[in-house]
Amino acid sequence: MSQIMENPKGGCVLAGINSVLGAIDRVCPIYHSGPGCCMQTTAADQGQSGHKSSCFVSSVSLPSTNMLEREVVFGGTDKLRTTIQGAIEIIDADAYFVLTGCTAGIIGDDIESVTGEFSEKGYPVYPIDTPGFAGDSNLGYEIIWNTLIDKVIEDNVEKDEKLVNIFGIVPYHDPFWSGALEEVDRILSRLGLKVNTFFTKHQGIDTIRKCSGAALNIIINPWLFKGPAKKFEEKFKVPSIRIPGLFIGATDTTKFVRTVAEKLGLDKTLVEKVIKEEEDYVYSYLAQAIGVVSWKRFAVVADANNAVGITRYLANDYSFTPVLVIVSEPIFRPEDKERIIAEINNLEYAVPPKVLFLTDQYEINEAIRNEEKEITLLLGSSNEREIALEKDIQFILAAFPMNERLIFNRTYAGYKGSLTFTEDIYDNM
Amino acid sequence: MANVTYSGVRESKPGRINDLGTSGKEVEEKYRKGCLKRADRSFAQGLQCQQINSMAALMSLEDSVFISHSPQGCVGCAIMAVDMYRVGQAHRGIKQIKNPRLIVTNIDQKNVVFGGEQKLREAVKKAVERYNPKLAFIYASCASGIIGDDIDAIASDLQNEYPDTVMVPIHCEGFKSKICASGFDAAFISINKYILKKESVEKEKGLVNLFAPTTVSYADQKEMERMLNLLDVKVNYIPFYSSLEKIKKIPAAEASTSICKVFADEFMKTLWEDYEIPYSHTVMPIGIRNTDKWYRGIAKVLHKEEEVERIINAEHERIEPLVAKLRKRLQGTRVFICGGTGRSFAAAALIDDFGMELVGLETPTYDEDAQVDIEYLNEIHKDFVVDIANMQPFEQVNLINKLKPDAFIGVPDWAAKLGIPTTHVLDGKRPTMGYDGLLFLGNKIADQLQNPGFNKKLPAHVKLPYKDSWYEEDAFKYITDK
Repeated sequence: MSQIMENPKGGCVLAGINSVLGAIDRVCPIYHSGPGCCMQTTAADQGQSGHKSSCFVSSVSLPSTNMLEREVVFGGTDKLRTTIQGAIEIIDADAYFVLTGCTAGIIGDDIESVTGEFSEKGYPVYPIDTPGFAGDSNLGYEIIWNTLIDKVIEDNVEKDEKLVNIFGIVPYHDPFWSGALEEVDRILSRLGLKVNTFFTKHQGIDTIRKCSGAALNIIINPWLFKGPAKKFEEKFKVPSIRIPGLFIGATDTTKFVRTVAEKLGLDKTLVEKVIKEEEDYVYSYLAQAIGVVSWKRFAVVADANNAVGITRYLANDYSFTPVLVIVSEPIFRPEDKERIIAEINNLEYAVPPKVLFLTDQYEINEAIRNEEKEITLLLGSSNEREIALEKDIQFILAAFPMNERLIFNRTYAGYKGSLTFTEDIYDNM
Repeated sequence: MANVTYSGVRESKPGRINDLGTSGKEVEEKYRKGCLKRADRSFAQGLQCQQINSMAALMSLEDSVFISHSPQGCVGCAIMAVDMYRVGQAHRGIKQIKNPRLIVTNIDQKNVVFGGEQKLREAVKKAVERYNPKLAFIYASCASGIIGDDIDAIASDLQNEYPDTVMVPIHCEGFKSKICASGFDAAFISINKYILKKESVEKEKGLVNLFAPTTVSYADQKEMERMLNLLDVKVNYIPFYSSLEKIKKIPAAEASTSICKVFADEFMKTLWEDYEIPYSHTVMPIGIRNTDKWYRGIAKVLHKEEEVERIINAEHERIEPLVAKLRKRLQGTRVFICGGTGRSFAAAALIDDFGMELVGLETPTYDEDAQVDIEYLNEIHKDFVVDIANMQPFEQVNLINKLKPDAFIGVPDWAAKLGIPTTHVLDGKRPTMGYDGLLFLGNKIADQLQNPGFNKKLPAHVKLPYKDSWYEEDAFKYITDK
């Protein structure tokens, strides 16, 4: 059930699917949809995520049936057939995924029989029959992984004890996704692991086909990917662990390293050596700027993953005072909310902040406007800049949607990212 | 024909076509003989839907709420207008930068089956309670249109309930038109129907309506206003950065003109029919020739032909030596242009100011207006390829790869990956228009084309997604008769 929302963060389910496909190397989405859906869905996530969008096909370079009145009335499967045919002829992709917009969904076009004609001939064309109105970008992230598990990932792949799959960091819906995955990859590689991020290092559809050979699925997110993880484990016998929030800084990143190491039974000496070196790296810098960043009482408005990470780093590792945390993505399951609240409230020394789940911009603004405790630093998305200006408090653009920054490989995650984050919150005023 | 109400769908106008691969000479002749036919593409890439334009056109209006009766995805592109609004406020010296109030009803599976009327009512209720706006725009979507939610009836109902907010439903369902500029028309049709309502307004001497879309920078607004002020008129700058009051003033004006060829062109006709306000519909004021033409157009309507010639002479004296310098740097450069209807033809005229040569032109529609421009271009340039396409990058890269132009003007993403130096005549944040804008633009173009290192190095590392075989094919092979 979707809620009425002011200034929503992110797009429809198609936007989420498109974001994932756009981050996989050499994969081509084909839209069976109205004329604007390619642009709208790309703009909804990729277009608001630090101005980086898929290099292969995105927005107006996505093949599309551009369904008009004629297709609405008479059906659009003929148009879809010629569009897939054209895409196969001219676009040099390793796989094609047919996405359905609202129009196709409502009129009930049978896309599976059309894609079937192509897969019978051996072309890697996969249908995803999920109209835009089915949900939001986050649902899209889960639906595309369900599709990949059902239709693309191979069974009977040889197990590799050193291989891990990373889930939960959503491409484009998290502006720092590339950098975060690179940092996760860097840390785990130091432990002797091989890492499927799926969205960096030009990993493509072949990596996905063979990812059932992994020893472990690591979900870095407090709530997403529950359904696909279960499906993955049932079908391919790959267990999963959930890291209930992005780790920023030495404390949480070390906890992450130990959790993974324990689960995989990694060599303790190596693990402790890596932890020692990484923590030393972080603190050798922090020690050079003690007291330079003035003390803050902060509020965070972000998706659950980043809200957890930002709050815990600033409170536990940097001794700022958390006041208010607003999780600004729709989350429906009570147990997910409890897990998120537990992560945010279970702090080492700091008094736990107030935690709210709000997706509507007016309600978010009102919560910040009416907060009784003083806030001197607000970390949020482009949408929260207005209330920060109104309250005249320092504002750091640190969450999706992010429109006033260009982000390539920057991240706040992990050991190294925490230094970047600390640099960014510096304020000379 | 005058009795037929215009639907707002641009392709409903006779003689206007969307899909064609041709040349300047051929299209001029075929249009003259009336043998251009409606076509389609059996394979195409995504388009911009008209809802995007309907929203963008109005999202900087004061005291307004924008309600999208759609799933969440249909407000993705709103970010472009949101960004222009935020940056535009900064440029106008506003410190407390606001977000536009955009509310999506978030049509979901249940609403698709049972209707989304209740959600729309709730959304409007929220909008009124939160902001007590003067205007509430209600946008239709493909989904709301197909499931048959009657936004007009709901709006009329809500109008009675909330008499202090003017309810303006806009029929911008994406599936109705392939031409995104239809969305501008849909917005103006509703402004006329729900705000102006053919009510008479006291005339204001010397007032001129200047219709401006979102993509016009504040620098350009100031330049347009400066030029009109030189003609001793007051400017009613609408609907970008305006208000209900300024919209209500539209009928008080003595004349109208627009910055963009496909923005308010139909509406200005309506204003003539309803209020006898004369108008000038010419070109986008980019480049010397086009700026002169645009300026003379509105001056003629205002009966200020002599004054405008004096001003134009003075401006030319000021600007021509500088343009001559730019011409030296750009003379003979072979150019491929891709843009919207207004910008593409404006760019084509602009390159003549600089002595550049047109080798290819991509523009979304062909019609009577385009014919006038093409006739002019055919007199200057030998022969050039014409692709009637809204973007369609696969055709663009095929053509560019064959034509090997020295420069590309338009969205740079694809031409850059072929190593072609790129530049653009669209910048909603910096100067582009009028006499002042021309110098900034000219220097930008000359500098970008002189120093194309980035684009030259790019193709060694990045490949476009197309198969090598595609570049050997006829670029127009997927254009089919309907």
